[in-house]
Amino acid sequence: MASSQPVKPPLAGQPAQAQRGSQAGLKYPSSGKTIYNRPLNRSRTQELSQASFAYLFGEMVSYAQKRVTGIQDLEKRLNVQGHPIGLKLLDLLLYREPTRSQTRPLNIIALLQFITTALWRHLFSRPADALEKSSNPETPDEYMISDNEPLVNQYISVPKEMNQLNCAAFVAGIVEGVCDGAGFPARVTAHSVGKGEEGELWPGKTVFLVKFQPEVVEREAYLGKS
Amino acid sequence: MSAAKAARQGEEIWKTKIDKVNAELVTLTYGTIVAQLCKDYESDYVEVNKQLDKMGYNIGLRLIEDYLAKSGTMRRCANFKETAEMIAKVGFKIFLNISPTISNWTTDSKQFSLIFDENPLADFVELPDDGRAQEELWFSNIFCGVLRGALEMVQMQVEAHFTSDVLRGQESTEMRVTLIRYIDDEMPVDDE
Amino acid sequence: MSYYFAIIGTQDNPLFEYEFGTAKQGGDGVARFPEQARHMNQFIVHSSLDIVEEAQWAQGQMYFKCIDRFYNNYVSCFMTGGNVKFLLLHAPSQPAIANTSRASTSIAANPTSPQTEEAIKQFFTEVYENWVKTIMSPFYHVNMEVKSPVFRSRVAAAGKKYL
Repeated sequence: MASSQPVKPPLAGQPAQAQRGSQAGLKYPSSGKTIYNRPLNRSRTQELSQASFAYLFGEMVSYAQKRVTGIQDLEKRLNVQGHPIGLKLLDLLLYREPTRSQTRPLNIIALLQFITTALWRHLFSRPADALEKSSNPETPDEYMISDNEPLVNQYISVPKEMNQLNCAAFVAGIVEGVCDGAGFPARVTAHSVGKGEEGELWPGKTVFLVKFQPEVVEREAYLGKS
Repeated sequence: MSAAKAARQGEEIWKTKIDKVNAELVTLTYGTIVAQLCKDYESDYVEVNKQLDKMGYNIGLRLIEDYLAKSGTMRRCANFKETAEMIAKVGFKIFLNISPTISNWTTDSKQFSLIFDENPLADFVELPDDGRAQEELWFSNIFCGVLRGALEMVQMQVEAHFTSDVLRGQESTEMRVTLIRYIDDEMPVDDE
Repeated sequence: MSYYFAIIGTQDNPLFEYEFGTAKQGGDGVARFPEQARHMNQFIVHSSLDIVEEAQWAQGQMYFKCIDRFYNNYVSCFMTGGNVKFLLLHAPSQPAIANTSRASTSIAANPTSPQTEEAIKQFFTEVYENWVKTIMSPFYHVNMEVKSPVFRSRVAAAGKKYL
């Protein structure tokens, strides 16, 4: 293997390539237990307790709380922590699609359908409750995904001074990661629309506002014409 | 309670009393927490271990109630050996659907190891190839804090730490748990 | 037949590269690029990125088949969901003869035959599986180089198996 691996000059001004066989490198157990030996579908249908998620998520929120100055800052941080998960799930879920439907989303609708079905089912065992396009002609770049009862809000008791906080910002980050990864850069934010009133059907209802960057909308228009 | 009975109880509770979520959501959430800590502490892994232990401790303090309610446990474990069985076969089972193996008891029955053949927190994980992470980071260190916190709530002061991890290239993942003392109810408990 | 395989990140940055030769028909798995051609491989692959960018919004399939040709060098592409490109440059030992009456099914002789396309697809698919395993790690960040020797050996094994 090494004989066929000459060290080459880097591509077009890029930083130097990884030196092969770098002397340090990671150690692996002799059992061969590495990420490459583990089948990707092994944990596909496995389950853990909802409590374990709630505890971890709760710690993530309170840790983040100590390092921020306000609610917006906190939501931003939760978004940032969700983002890499979206990037990872995009490919993991595409990998798991049957060959025939293993296609990259080419337009906004295909992307959002992937998110509201494949992604939602994976994360929450059910599709999202609604997907709408903004009816405001001023904002054709906005879409809304509704979840009547976000899992992340069910177990988290938000401190009083933080009652504006929507922990679904974490999910918004995951969604944003999927959008960015797939080549549809967007800003995704979570908004509580339930009023928290007594007798309300969905007091925790949350809308994820997906606002695509102008270039995405422009490309869509251009591709639609050709 | 015998080991076999504890195992049956754990299985039964897992099947009937536990709300469940996709395992990968938990795995990925934990992964993003550890990655964020490594970033915040600029890869000071010793500090990251401490933070994970602290998070675990906070979880343990709250988790014990949930555990007692689910397991319907009314009485104290008769001895530390029984405690170990309950941790491995009921505690880990009902939260993470795994049952680590108990081994390497010291003769005074105050120290044992938990061997993790499976560890859902570490699925998909490869430590950073920076020449240090495999020497310094205990990726699943949150478990140590959880045990410490949960047992403290039932009047046991324990110390727990990992002694090996397959993520470090070692042959097994092993945590050592030591009973320091049973806490008298009237004695104030020191956190650290 | 010699191959040059590269994984290119979303900023057109190289994340991984590997050179190998065919293991089929008695091949020893060693790449035999002439010395001056070897330096060209990266540039050929890089220059095909423009074509990839145009093609990526025209079809949702991950496998793009052969998308570019530069003299006797053929470039096939596979694009992941996260817009990372797998590019395989394949250079037959003998220049392929267009419209040959004696159509050969050997991968080495015919870089655009359905058999070759299928073999490359299988190679890409196997690399993709390992790629997803790589990026799932919480410590893998987008556009990070892949240095794992295990990943490298997996790519090598896929090359040996299919190409």
